[in-house]
This record gives sequence, C-alpha cells and structure tokens, in this order.
Amino acid sequence: MELFLHYLTMPYMIEGIVATLQVTALGLLGGLVLGVILAWMQLSRFKALASFARVYTVIFRGTPLILQMVFAYNALPQIGIKLPAILAAGLALACNEAPFIAEMLRSGVLGVDRGQVSAGRALGMTPGVLMRRIIAPQAIRSMIPAFGNETVSALKNSSLASVIAVQELTLRSTQMASATFDFFSIFFASGLIYLVLTAAIACIQLFLEWLFDLDRASKQIKLMRMMPRYRVQGTDDPLASADTERPEPPPNAGVAELPPSRVQPERGDRAKRAETLARNNIAVDVAALRKSYDKQKVLDGVDLTVRTGEVIALLGPSGSGKSTLLRCINNLELWNDGTIKVGGRRLGFNEHGKALSPRLLAQARAEVGVGMVFQQFNLFGHLTAKENIAGPLRWVHGISRADADRRALELLARVGLTHRADALPRHLSGGQQQRVAIARAIAPNPSVLLFDEPTSALDPELVNEVLEVIRRLAVEDGLTMIISTHQLRFASEVADRVVLLAGGSIIEEGPADQVLNQPRNPVAQRFLNAMAAEIA
Amino acid sequence: MVMLSFPHIKKLMHVAAIGALLVVGGGGSTGAKAAAPAACAELQAKFPDWKGKTLVNAINPHTPGYESIDPKDPSKYIGFDIDLGEMIGECLGFKLTYKAVAFAALLTTLQSGQADIVISDIYATEERAKAADFITYSKVFDGVLVAKGNPKKITGIDTSLCGTAAAENTGYVEVPLIQALGPECKKLGKPEPTIQLYDNNANCIQAILAGRADTYINDVNTVDNAVKAYPDKLEKAIAVTIPYQVGIGVPKDKPKFRDAVHAAMVEIHKSGDQLTLLKKWNLDPNNLMKPGLLIVK
Repeated sequence: MELFLHYLTMPYMIEGIVATLQVTALGLLGGLVLGVILAWMQLSRFKALASFARVYTVIFRGTPLILQMVFAYNALPQIGIKLPAILAAGLALACNEAPFIAEMLRSGVLGVDRGQVSAGRALGMTPGVLMRRIIAPQAIRSMIPAFGNETVSALKNSSLASVIAVQELTLRSTQMASATFDFFSIFFASGLIYLVLTAAIACIQLFLEWLFDLDRASKQIKLMRMMPRYRVQGTDDPLASADTERPEPPPNAGVAELPPSRVQPERGDRAKRAETLARNNIAVDVAALRKSYDKQKVLDGVDLTVRTGEVIALLGPSGSGKSTLLRCINNLELWNDGTIKVGGRRLGFNEHGKALSPRLLAQARAEVGVGMVFQQFNLFGHLTAKENIAGPLRWVHGISRADADRRALELLARVGLTHRADALPRHLSGGQQQRVAIARAIAPNPSVLLFDEPTSALDPELVNEVLEVIRRLAVEDGLTMIISTHQLRFASEVADRVVLLAGGSIIEEGPADQVLNQPRNPVAQRFLNAMAAEIA
Repeated sequence: MVMLSFPHIKKLMHVAAIGALLVVGGGGSTGAKAAAPAACAELQAKFPDWKGKTLVNAINPHTPGYESIDPKDPSKYIGFDIDLGEMIGECLGFKLTYKAVAFAALLTTLQSGQADIVISDIYATEERAKAADFITYSKVFDGVLVAKGNPKKITGIDTSLCGTAAAENTGYVEVPLIQALGPECKKLGKPEPTIQLYDNNANCIQAILAGRADTYINDVNTVDNAVKAYPDKLEKAIAVTIPYQVGIGVPKDKPKFRDAVHAAMVEIHKSGDQLTLLKKWNLDPNNLMKPGLLIVK
C-alpha cells in the first residue's frame, strides 16, 4: 500500500500523465480537423472526393495504430519528415481517429431529420447556412456521447506511443517496473491514474450533455418551483403546458385559439372572381413536366398554369404525384423533362438553361419566393416557435434581429400562438406546430405558397384550426396557393380551381364546384365518390 | 554452437562485488571519467565533427545493471552502458541524451535517424549487422532463470528445454537459439520448446512468476537481479556462454563516426576504465574483451 501511494504520487509518473494528455489532445484535435474534412468529402456531391475519403478510411481504419505510430516515427524520416516523438505519436493517433470521428460526424449529420433539411432548403437557406444553423446544432447534441467514447479510447490508445519512445504513463510505468521489480504497485498506480482521467472525461461528457439539453430550461423551472417566491418566467415550460393546456376540448376544435378573423372582403360571385383572376399575371407555369424514379413514371406530362392570387386545390389518390409536383415546383426535386417557371423565371437554371449550384439555387429560391408547408410540419427541432420564424428571416434575408422578432411575433399572433412563442416544437400539439410552420412559410412574403397535405398528419380534432388559418390566408391576404389535400369540403370552399391528378397526369381540372360536383372523367368520379363516402 | 557452463561464476561475482564497493565511493553515474585525457585530446583533434554536439542514444531501459531508470531519480538513466556511453562522449567531446524504445525498435530507431547511437546491451549478430555497424566491447554470459527448485530440470540451452515454454523478448538472440533445438527434440521424440514473446524483462519475469513460462534465458546479470528481487520464487539454473558479443550500434552510412567510437572504446579498454566500470556495476570481469568491429556489407 505504501509503495502504491509512493508511485501514485511520484513526480515521474505525474509527468508521464502530461505526455499522455498531450498525445491524446493532439490525436483528438488533429482527428477532429481531419475528420471534419473527411466527413465533408464523404458527404460531397463530387464522386472523386468521396472515393478518396473512402480509400483513406479503409487504410487507416484497417491497420493497427501501433503500426501507424511506428510508421510516423520511423518511416517518415526516410522522406525527410523527422517529427519529435510526441508529434509523431499525435499525428498517428490523429490519422487513426479521423475516420472514426468522420463516421460520427456523418451519422450525426445524416441523423438530422431530412424533413427539416427540406424545410430549410425551401426557405432558401444555402448549404452553408443549413449546416451552420440547422444541421450542426442538432447533430452536435446527438454526437456528444460518441465523442465521449472516442475521447476515452484515444486516451487509452495513447499508451501505444510507448513503442516510439514517448515518455507517457505506460512507458514510464514499465521502465519503473523493470528498474525496481515492484510490478504490481506500479501498475495498480498507473491503472488508477488512467481511471481518474477517464472518469474526468465522463464528467465532462455529462456536463456537455446537460449544457446542450434542450429541456434544460424546463428542468431548472422544476427545481425553481420548489423554491419559495418562484415567479412564472416567460420560458418554455412543458410542465405548465401539460398541466394547463386543454383541460377540456375547446368548443370549436382548436379554432378558439385564433384571433377573431378580419372583416372578410366580399369575394363576390365565383364567376366574377374567375374573370378577374384570368387577367392577372401568371405566377406558376408548369409545362409538359415528366419525372420518373427508376422506371416508375411519377409525373407524365403535367401542364398547369396558376395566376397570381389564385388558390388551387390539388386532389388525387395517394401516389398520384401531388407531392412530387409540389416539390418540383420548389426545386426540391429534379425532373426529367419539361419546364417550370415561377414569376416568369426558370427556378434552378441560369439564363442559358444550365443547372445552378445548390448555393445559387438557394439564393434564387429566396428571391423568387416560393413558400412551402409540409405534411410533417418539419419545424426546426432545436429552435423555439419564434426562432423558427425569425431565424430564417435573419439568415436568408438579412433582416435585423429586432425586425425579425417583431415579424415573428406578429405572425404568431395571427395564427393564435403568441402564448407559445418560446415553446420548442416538441412541446406543441400537431396543430400548433403546423400553424407555426405556416407562419414560417409566409414570413418572407412569398409570391407562391405550396401546401403538401397540411392536415394529413393531424389528429382529426386538430384539422380545423389549421384549415381555418389557411382559409384566412386565402381570403384575407389573397395569396397565390397550391394546396394538395384530401379535404373535399375545404377545397370546395377555398379553391378557385380544383386540379385532379391521377397516375401522374391531370385527369380533371376546372372551377371547384364543377369538378367536385360534375366530374366528367370516370376515374375522377370514382375517386370523388370514394372520398365523399369516407367523409360521410 | 559453443555452450559452456560456468560453475566458477558465483565466486567471480563475489570478487566483482568487492570491486564494486571500492568504486561506488567514487560517486554516481557520471563519476566515471575518462582516464586517458591525452589520447582523447588526440582523438578529438582527429575526429572533430562531434565535438560540442549532443547525440541521441537509443536504449531499452529494462535491464538493471546495464540500463534502467534510477528508481531514486527516475529522470536519470543509470547502468554500465550509460556510463560507458558518457565515457565515450567525454572522450570524443559530445554529450548524450536518451531515447527509450522497445528492444526490437532499437535498430530501426537508429536507421530512421531518430537516434545517433545504440548502447543498450545489444548482441552484435551478423543479422543485426545488416542494419547497423557494431563496435563490440563485451563477451556474453547468459543466465537461465527458472522457478525456485527448477521443476522442469532445465540445464541450459539444450534438449532439457524440449517441451518447456520459454519467455523471451521480441528480437532477442536467444529466440533463434531456442528455436534451433526443435529438430533435436524431434529426434528424441520430444515436443519442441515453445517461445512466448514479450516486450521487456519485466514481462518475461512475470511470465515465470505467473507460471506461464518455465524459463527466461537472458544476460546473466539480469537473471541475478531477478533472483535477488524474488529469492523465494526464482532461481538461476545455470549460466551459459552464447556465441555473441555485445556491441555498440552506429549507422552504417557514417564510417567516420564508427571509427571514432571504436578508437575511443580502444582507449577506454586500454586505460582500465572499462574494467573499473564492470566492477562498479557488479558485473563479471570475465565479460571484458578487446573492442572489435562487426561490419557486414
């Protein structure tokens, strides 16, 4: 025991810890830098970069670290690179860690909900902004445990540097054991030192997990509640919402949260309105659009013209190509043939008809202004309701924080969610989430708003509050909208024109009451009958 | 293969011990001073390239008596080889720093230029001389370390090893010597000896203590030290000579440096300093030999 304590506190061993930590730090930081580069190459759309990264990964993940250490120390000098032992060990460890860290980064990035990425792109975020503001903050949270593991393994792997004369803890322990024959006291002492170091890493990991925990604020509130003189803060408090929200179903299915609707301008009779619309500019022009996945035809020559201020209801069975059509209009998907013009501009192509880079495409999207609301809401999970709206305004449109916040609060008021401004999406009901998503889509004043089955993912009692918001946008704001939906009644009330899509083609198209009540196409008749039966 | 036992070696060790007592009064590891200043001054004039330089000595510091850290001040290395290196440095006018590497990495470290010289109780063999030039300076006596009572009745590097397990360090010359016993064992209808390869003396000794290995054959001084540390559990079965000499390794592409070190070694041998050193470190004076060269083209 005495010997054990003697070796545990011996300055010689303590200095060994310093070398151990230096090698570990070099390995981890170097590995992180290399790992970021590798992950970027693997995720790149350029094939050559991705294959290079693959080859690197195969080599460095497939050979033992001890060989890499010896290589960095003894082989590099043959080509004139003579690194000091600690640097050689750090280099080998970094090269070895890089593929593992790259895989962690890659899985973290790919683990971020694809829907949020689509939403970010639809809002006109460039790949850089998307990575910095949406993907990275969420990926980092999910990667902390893996990073903790990697740090511990790097620390232990640093002991292999003993083979290339780095005076780290393991080498010093064995030298001491050889000189004194006190094997067990020495190795127990160095084992304990390693344990203390890895335990410290575990503590740092737990602290970071706590720091990056999105629910941290609410946990604090839970604690503060137990304190005297606790006063309600304006922070997101899921406990409060769980307790107080919806003690009983609101009288008119959630619409109660919405502010009273503005005075409805007289829409006049439909024929007159149709006549006015026909004279408006063309907002969206789709011509002979064809798209197929592998051999499956999804869109088979779609032609569609939408005038400014017009509301189109896109109906059709599942798999008829409704979503694909909307995603093509917003350039979230590529198509095989045909043209799409928004505001007279071919989105996604320059004037010579060449496809734009993702960055330029994002800018074009933001300029033209095509807003999109998704079936799965796709709110940014790490941002509050207000930030979901204000953030993109700042990052994409360069609006000041104060102005963006003002706009966000104004829109939240319009969708009846002022009281949930600081709530995270996961603490909102589906209907509330979709209302925030609508507010987010209209925030930059888009020229066209696309809705991709906005109520299909909602529980029946939440459908109305969302439809009511859309209805008001159509009536009060006169927005140009294309809404894919299964809600026939809603379509007949709100839409100027109904377009029925089946098997990738438009089979029926015209004024809402005409298409819905007297369809000519037999397929359309069957579909509408089935839909009507379902409602009844 | 020459294999002799040395029953008189114990007596000699006593003589050496007395000699060491006389010298130890002289001081610590750097107390060994070159006794031929005139000859050294000449050498420095003849080989001026290394005067005032600091060179790197690659060692495998797991052999107490030859090279190990000083348990009292672990920042220092001590032992016969360490003193000898300092003596050579003093004679030629250079200083030494140390790089501790695995035994098997000694010569690769030298080859890659990460070290300038290797003085680490390494036996000069033809095979190793392909990687470095050697200035030989000591005969080799090996001890056969076994568990107390020698349960397997091992009598040396001979057929008594058939069917036993020997612990050895990676890269040690004893490894091929033991392997060469295989055919002889077969002729006798006995199983071949097995070899467990470790990284340093400490692990080899532990292998015997843990009952994994039956013997560890290495430099006699190392074996004696192990027995001293575990008198109840270990013993030296016997001492044998093996047909090698200990050498100082220098890079093959620096013949001038090799000649300088050789010349310095000759002076240190001639002046009696080498013998004094052997005594100081309690080593067998029978080890003493006239420095030579082993160079393979």
